[in-house]
Amino acid sequence: MSEARGVLLPAYVLVDESASMGPYVDDLSAGLVSLCEELRAAPMLAAKLRLAVLGFSDDVRVHLAVADMRVETNLPRVTVRGSTNYGAAFSDLAGRIPTDVRFLRDEGYKVHRPVVFFLSDGQPTDFGWKRALARLTDRQRMPAAPNIIACGMGSAERQTIAEVASRPEFGFIAQPGADLGKAISEFFHALTASLIASSQALNSENPQLVVTRPEGFSIVLDEVTP
Amino acid sequence: MSPRPGPRAAAPGSAAAPVVVAAPFAPTAPTAPAAMDDTAPWPRITIDTPGAEFEPRPPGQFAYDFPDTECDGWSTPDFTVRSASIRGAGHRFYRKPRQDSARVAVHEASGAIVFAVADGVSGATDSHLGAVEACRAAMERMLHLLSQGAPMEFDSVAHHAAERLRQLAAWRLGTGPQSSAVAASWYATTLVAGVVQPDASGPRVELCRIGDSGAWLLDRATGSYHALFGTKTGSDTDLVSNAVVPLPHVPESVEALVEHLTASEVLLVGTDGFGDPLGDGDGQVGALFARHLAVAPTPLRLAHVLDFSRETFDDDRTLVAVWPGSSAGAP
Repeated sequence: MSEARGVLLPAYVLVDESASMGPYVDDLSAGLVSLCEELRAAPMLAAKLRLAVLGFSDDVRVHLAVADMRVETNLPRVTVRGSTNYGAAFSDLAGRIPTDVRFLRDEGYKVHRPVVFFLSDGQPTDFGWKRALARLTDRQRMPAAPNIIACGMGSAERQTIAEVASRPEFGFIAQPGADLGKAISEFFHALTASLIASSQALNSENPQLVVTRPEGFSIVLDEVTP
Repeated sequence: MSPRPGPRAAAPGSAAAPVVVAAPFAPTAPTAPAAMDDTAPWPRITIDTPGAEFEPRPPGQFAYDFPDTECDGWSTPDFTVRSASIRGAGHRFYRKPRQDSARVAVHEASGAIVFAVADGVSGATDSHLGAVEACRAAMERMLHLLSQGAPMEFDSVAHHAAERLRQLAAWRLGTGPQSSAVAASWYATTLVAGVVQPDASGPRVELCRIGDSGAWLLDRATGSYHALFGTKTGSDTDLVSNAVVPLPHVPESVEALVEHLTASEVLLVGTDGFGDPLGDGDGQVGALFARHLAVAPTPLRLAHVLDFSRETFDDDRTLVAVWPGSSAGAP
């Protein structure tokens, strides 16, 4: 491999902007601001990340496109609208991620497998989402297929989140009846901790994605059903 | 990276043909140097966009045996050796000890240079100790084999190093023999070990590796690098992936090879903290080392060069370099 300018981890934050998230817009915004500020305060780690923030509902809106958080001054702002179209979100990523990876490689960077942090408070309202997810995670068709960390709360069901997560230990569900504002805050705390720990491990002899469980969430497959 | 012995790409800025030759030693009366400010700062060499600058923080209180930087250098009638190992910016910031290690010795009866380079795995809690012990055990075994006049059996070198890590775990627990899994959780480490011996057809290099540390031949005439082991990824793959199985695991067949050094080549053995930014050696990092290794630098100078700053490359770096011939590496 030719000399690289650096080694990067592209990270995508994919948050649910469906109407049911309306009461929690401020919590989402506060979480994103906190994430951006913490990355700015750790420039050595932020140098190894490129962060994208996407909101999904009927469609996908880009609030931040693979940005270097050391120099990015815009704070992502979320808006709520429409339905919970998982398929639109996964289809968007399936187009976006290979393009971003190619762009970063063309810039001279080595790129680690991208990671998606997915947060939803509801069940998908579309029927094609499983096919879109399968396309997104098929490493044969898409070598840059991401790891997906999925967090569900509110009406999101355990089984659905388990299917979205790319590994069993990457799926988390908030405790039933949890304060959703607090759950969002914990999601962002865990996301920040995961990004920082993962970027520390990037250049090691055995780089690995380090995933922190959000406080108040459990791993989706923890529950034994009768 | 071009195959050997085919044509090799010259690094940008490298000399096209001539090999740098040190002037023969001729004592002369010292002349008064031009006025120099010997208190001037000694800034790190930066490449492209440098990483963040900060005063290193200490590792944990029990890591006093693992200094931030180590370097060494000497010559025999047949070879000139330099080595350096530096703590990466990540470990300097997050208060971790240097987890790389290097050891070099001369086997006095044969004049062979014996070396070992190890890179402790971050996920293992005491991999800095594992790296040192793996180097020591490999050195002991190779020196023993040379003294016996036995062939360099790298399987036995690797198993000896692995056994040392298991013994260390047993000693720590105060119990009987420990499994590789227990030893791996504390002491997992990569290892490149080998010898360079004088030989009629040019210095003979034999080496082996466990894990993803590497070895290269730097051609001083062209500034090009030839990787002796495979690299982490091909240039046509989208993503970097470098999962490795380190010691104390020993594969069924240890990866080993034999090469001969030409007069213009330098043997380089290093951890991925050096190998990753080097890549094929056809960029700025390759050019930097081609310039500085044309003739053996002082050990301190090698450590300084190895401590170059380039953003995102914050791993520990270790490099052992062996030049054929003495006279500070002149071919």
